[in-house]
Amino acid sequence: MGNKILRAAIMMLVGWYASAEDAFPPSLAREVYDRVSPAICVLSYSSEITNPASGEVTKRATNALGVIVSSDGLVMTHGHMLLENARPFSIRVKVGQGELEKEYDGQILRKPEDLNVCFVRIVTSESVGFPYVRFDAEARLEVGEEVLLVGLLGDNFDFSRSLLARRIGSILEKPRRTYCLDQPVPFGYVTSPVINAHGVAVGVVGYDLSPAEGGELYIRSGHPLVYQSGLFAHYLETPPSEQEAKSPQEEAWLGVFTQPLTDDHAEYWGLPKNGGVIVSTIVPGSPAEKSGFQRGDIVTEFNGIPIHAKQNQEVLDFTRVIRETGVGKDVIVKVLRAGQPLEMTTNLVLRPKSARDAVEFEDQVFGLTVREITTDVRILLNLPEDVQGVIVRRVKSGSWASIANIRPGVIIMNFGDYPVTNLEEFKQAVTKVAEQKPKEVTVFCRAGSVTLFFRMEPVWPADALK
Amino acid sequence: MRRSMWASVLATLCLAGCVTTGSARESAVIRAKNKVLPALVHIRPVKEVFTGGRREEILVVGSGFIISPDGYVVTNEHVAGETRLVRCVLYNKEEVEAEVVGTDPYTDIAVLKLKTDRNDLPTVKLGNSSKLEAGQVVLALGSPHGLARSVSEGIVSVTDRYLGDGGDMASPYNTWIQTDAAINPGNSGGPLVNLKGEVIGINARRLGGAENVGFAIPIDSAREVIDDIIQEKRVIRSWIGASFQEMLRKTEDPQKKGVIIADVDPLSPAAEAELLPGDVMLSINGVPTNARFVEDLPPVNQLIADLPVGQEATVRIARGKEELDIKVTPTERSAVKGEEVEFKEWGFTASELTPAIVRIAQLPAKKGVFVSGAQVGGPAGEARLQAGDIVLKVDDQDIGDLAAFRQIYQQLVASKKRLVMMDVKRGALTRYVLIKQNGENKGELAPAPEGAAVREEQNDGK
Repeated sequence: MGNKILRAAIMMLVGWYASAEDAFPPSLAREVYDRVSPAICVLSYSSEITNPASGEVTKRATNALGVIVSSDGLVMTHGHMLLENARPFSIRVKVGQGELEKEYDGQILRKPEDLNVCFVRIVTSESVGFPYVRFDAEARLEVGEEVLLVGLLGDNFDFSRSLLARRIGSILEKPRRTYCLDQPVPFGYVTSPVINAHGVAVGVVGYDLSPAEGGELYIRSGHPLVYQSGLFAHYLETPPSEQEAKSPQEEAWLGVFTQPLTDDHAEYWGLPKNGGVIVSTIVPGSPAEKSGFQRGDIVTEFNGIPIHAKQNQEVLDFTRVIRETGVGKDVIVKVLRAGQPLEMTTNLVLRPKSARDAVEFEDQVFGLTVREITTDVRILLNLPEDVQGVIVRRVKSGSWASIANIRPGVIIMNFGDYPVTNLEEFKQAVTKVAEQKPKEVTVFCRAGSVTLFFRMEPVWPADALK
Repeated sequence: MRRSMWASVLATLCLAGCVTTGSARESAVIRAKNKVLPALVHIRPVKEVFTGGRREEILVVGSGFIISPDGYVVTNEHVAGETRLVRCVLYNKEEVEAEVVGTDPYTDIAVLKLKTDRNDLPTVKLGNSSKLEAGQVVLALGSPHGLARSVSEGIVSVTDRYLGDGGDMASPYNTWIQTDAAINPGNSGGPLVNLKGEVIGINARRLGGAENVGFAIPIDSAREVIDDIIQEKRVIRSWIGASFQEMLRKTEDPQKKGVIIADVDPLSPAAEAELLPGDVMLSINGVPTNARFVEDLPPVNQLIADLPVGQEATVRIARGKEELDIKVTPTERSAVKGEEVEFKEWGFTASELTPAIVRIAQLPAKKGVFVSGAQVGGPAGEARLQAGDIVLKVDDQDIGDLAAFRQIYQQLVASKKRLVMMDVKRGALTRYVLIKQNGENKGELAPAPEGAAVREEQNDGK
């Protein structure tokens, strides 16, 4: 055991020595440290985390590395600072070390859709020129190439800035060019600048691909990546909140779920083994349904672009083609139906709002936070079209709703004898019930696949005064 | 002064009382135990379980008691259900094999028949659970953790605990006797006995993570089920497809009679009769159906279960300000669990659809089979068939039920056709699942080594 540790320690020393020998002579490493570390800051913030199942909210204080990327105080950090169920607050940015440390308020900006990072703006009225890291957006990296990371040691080490040597271990080409480091890095190195042997900052350390990059489909988590400068250079020019909001609503949408046409599928159906996508599900009410797509159709060409998907990854390309095709114009789609080629015309619409952009409403009387039912949630929960209402997201502890045992996840379809089919109707129902102050309020809900009633018995303030 | 004197008199009386009942109680416990112990049975069934796309057999331990001199034994369904072989050990340590006469998952009751020619077996006396009172001393007999012939003592904590209509403890037709007599795994199916030595309940549940919170099926609820099983080998119940909630869910007003219809299954007699959630059911065939509290729900469910199958019944409901008579023709209630089968050559297990599965999957009709598991590395697993999928079609042929699927499956396996297509419903989506019959796993389905499974995973779709 002790032997193993000793051996590992020797290996590490040898490794460090060797790397210092090849690519980073001590003088260069020292120069990198002196130049980059002033631009490394500590973000201290609290997060409000909502348990998606129970709706319970917990708060947690965290520290993370931030890298200052502009002289006016734009800071880049890890993308998990802002998640669907986690919202940061009380953000403090600590710049400089020891005696020179200064603390500022931070303000989080809109999270980029296409990269798993967050940006924080340092709030200050002084015209301080912050030290910042200049990235070379053109630089590329090679497999085996050595890089230096400038990160943070932990709380116990006063967040000292520290160097770490790594190599580019692998380069993936799909779904976008992705550089993988050869070894894990401690948490204090997430978003640390990555410096190449010429002393040039070429990217930052990251972990996951964003959903827009295909991160949801194959979760390449748990291994450190390098987000190359080219991926975020435009955000340094124009930070996200100041950019024209490019919301997912602008994406075009066809409304199908697909599978790749593997060679086996082609053989089974007696089709040429050229790939394609099999339409396996058609979303009701979607452009695909309206333009007459049928389950089992095989798409071979979309808007002039041939589709040759044979594996799951390649289906993503089809998804991208659809997303990037404009909304509202006629698109020619070539399909095979029962082996026969067929040309169809469809007209894409905007992608329906997803749960991430769903509007929530927090009622102050009964303690319910509810959300509209978006198309994606309807599919996820396998809700038939005749189920309309709002989904309970959170129930305030001790509220009338919690006393009645209403739980997050149930769908409210009727509230105090007012039918609820959408968020607006729910708001109106709550307002009317609060005005009428009935002794008992019956709520009709769907939980899983069955329906049931809850009864609330609020004590109205006016009653309390009597 | 006067008060304290009374207090001391009371205390003395109480103390004296306790001392005398203490020894009396001990002999009463011994007498009661002696009446039941000779009829106590230690049960060791070999159960069939389906896990990870495979059928397996496991040995479990439970308890039971003899109710007739020729060897009928009562136990729990969760002890004796899905068994291939049931071995019983009698009080005198004699080992006797038993056959399962029938089981009823809705009440968790099973009846066994010992394979013996004897007609003089010791039996228990069944008591009367409706006369029970909380605080009454009771004994639990059985094999906690396999330790046969164990007796524990406690009192009735509550006589009519309601454990709900869904979830793990689902019991629509009965309330439960709650007791603090120690009940552990292995006590299942054993008798709960009063101090007269009469069986007043069948131990079946306990609350995990709690101390001394056990539950027994009241013998009055069990008696009819036991008789039905002995006579018909099963319990036939009527079903209309409505589920109910107590009136308290709508109002606290005790004047409001009836029971709330909370849910109507879309593929059910209640839906056909256009009963609606929110209707208040007042009576069935003139018999009032009042349930103000949850504990009143099982009798309402029982009333429906007792309706003759296929014979029109009149349900009187209140809808808004109106009262209406609605005709409903109940069907027979299907089993809680569908039959389950392993399909070895394709490496998966599937079961018959039940109304609950049809409901969850939002199927338009009860057609298809439910995939309960797929083996890692097996042809079905490789084709990404998953537990929870519903197979709707195989090679473009509609699947009616498990028997129909089995027939098509056997033909396809015999045909050695390389590729077989299954149309599968997975939540709101449908998928094409392509089974490779003569792939790497040629018929024989030895568990694939872990590395192989990972390799194949990566090769998917190529």
